[in-house]
Amino acid sequence: MGQTMAEKLLSQHNLAGKPVRAGDILEARIDGAMCHYHASQPMYELAVEAGFKDGLPRVWDPERIFVLVDHHQPALSQALADENMIIRREVARLGIKCFHDAEPGIAHQMMLDYGLARPGELVVGNDSHTIGYGAVNAGATGITRADMFYVLLFGELWFQVPKSIKVVLDGRHPRYPIAKDIILYLAGEHGDDLAQNMSVEYSGSLVPELGIDGRMCLSTHGVEIGAKFAMFPADEKTRGFLKGRTDKPYEPLVPDPDAEYEKEIRLNVDDMPFVVAKPHQFGNVAPVEEAAGTRIQQAQIGSCANGRFEDIEIAARMLKGRKVAKGVRFLISPASQQVYLQCLKAGLIEQLVEAGAQVVTPGCGVCQPKVGFLSDGEVCITATTRNFKGRKGSLGAEIYLAGPLTVTAAAVAGAIVNPKEVFNEL
Amino acid sequence: MSFDLNRVIRGRVWKFGDSIETDAINPYYRHPTMEELKQHTMEAYRPEFPKQVKPGDILVAGRNFGCGSSRPGLVLREVGIAAILAESVSRLFLRNNIARAMPIFMAPGVTGIVQDGETLEIDYRQGVVRNPASGASVALRKFPPLIEKIFQCGGLPEFARERYLAETSR
Repeated sequence: MGQTMAEKLLSQHNLAGKPVRAGDILEARIDGAMCHYHASQPMYELAVEAGFKDGLPRVWDPERIFVLVDHHQPALSQALADENMIIRREVARLGIKCFHDAEPGIAHQMMLDYGLARPGELVVGNDSHTIGYGAVNAGATGITRADMFYVLLFGELWFQVPKSIKVVLDGRHPRYPIAKDIILYLAGEHGDDLAQNMSVEYSGSLVPELGIDGRMCLSTHGVEIGAKFAMFPADEKTRGFLKGRTDKPYEPLVPDPDAEYEKEIRLNVDDMPFVVAKPHQFGNVAPVEEAAGTRIQQAQIGSCANGRFEDIEIAARMLKGRKVAKGVRFLISPASQQVYLQCLKAGLIEQLVEAGAQVVTPGCGVCQPKVGFLSDGEVCITATTRNFKGRKGSLGAEIYLAGPLTVTAAAVAGAIVNPKEVFNEL
Repeated sequence: MSFDLNRVIRGRVWKFGDSIETDAINPYYRHPTMEELKQHTMEAYRPEFPKQVKPGDILVAGRNFGCGSSRPGLVLREVGIAAILAESVSRLFLRNNIARAMPIFMAPGVTGIVQDGETLEIDYRQGVVRNPASGASVALRKFPPLIEKIFQCGGLPEFARERYLAETSR
């Protein structure tokens, strides 16, 4: 019997040096570890609790650890500025080579911008959306802080080999991003734990049409459906994206034709409606018409799910000659400085500002949240990662998740609406 | 803090639904310190929880408990939750509880044998969860030996220190 991508990945990284199958427990060799802001104080506290009174005594390989200040850049308070000082001290003490400090942006986007996650590698990060690097065929997954403590010391970690789900996407790619609608639709149809503890492998005739941006949205949201990995095959677009970003060799993961899957899910995007996730869960999905007419006070595009060029480009393109509705705060946050620059050079930022949108510094801010808190009774529609109750402040606010096109339509109309009713050019 | 998996846990149940997220368990962006968190954990679902939870209580949940981010649920231990029982647990929440040696058990069917406020008894060694009042019981899933060892050590950082000391003292 052949192997899935996840079985190949973990067999190749098995410290015991033998092939593994779904269900096996193993200790695996780690290729890269992404640490964002939690690399400092919590790691120090964990070390002290475990009995290392001076903090972590070493790191296993200073060149395989990537520290990005991420969530707390620029610092929002003195407490966070103090914490950032500890990160700098620890990075210097431990000799970590790759450190992105004075650069705002989302760690996950920067990991890909800088070519730090490559096809076939086992990459971990102490953030749930680390899984997004599966967009470039990396075996990437989020781990916990205490897991990261172990990885930093030894470069190894325990895993259970996941069962795999094959998601086959077919249909024609429209002239606007659809990744968000795809993942929301799947969560709505099959449940928000449809891939619990499993590995998702994307395939189908739509995949070559999806850009790396769309793949990143789908892989990043793997965690919203419970997945351990969410991987795309490496193709021409993958190689094109990596060119100039990394000069290290890599070997893509290719599943065997007779690999065994727990289940197969097929979706033809031609038949897919525009959807929203209603408050307060990712799987609470309905066609956009079901929420149509709901007045909004805030709209957002950003985060590791949707802060990319294609997400911002569609907003700028649709806003050309239009205005954001009076009283609506439309926040747009590029995922990284590189994405921001790409948008600037393409003239998108000017169009957005002219139409009445606000641009927020690259980073996790609009999703986390650190900007754009909501008050009681306010409604926000957002192309970001999560819509949990209280995610953006008040427990009495309502958050709808949607793709960037649907968010932009709502920003123009002042209410949730099918984008085709607002944008007759579609 | 080491945890003996073989100790029988008995406590009053707080019952929750499906897909309870880490934002509700650990809303630290709104309440950044542990003292504040203790006043607000789970209030998104049960506003009375932080005020009325007592040391030794057991939290029972439906499927996908702890979905969302990689935030740990240490606050539940801080308010006295002795164990979590769920139909299924999100991957990162499970890893967090293993890595910090906080008792968490997957027991499919558990939500069907207990009402909110009743008492449950968790017997890991026997692999069973019982409702002493009704006599109903369901099986709980045992952990593989490596995970049991992490629990015995008191968590992954402690496990790491044991390994580090063994390797560096050679």
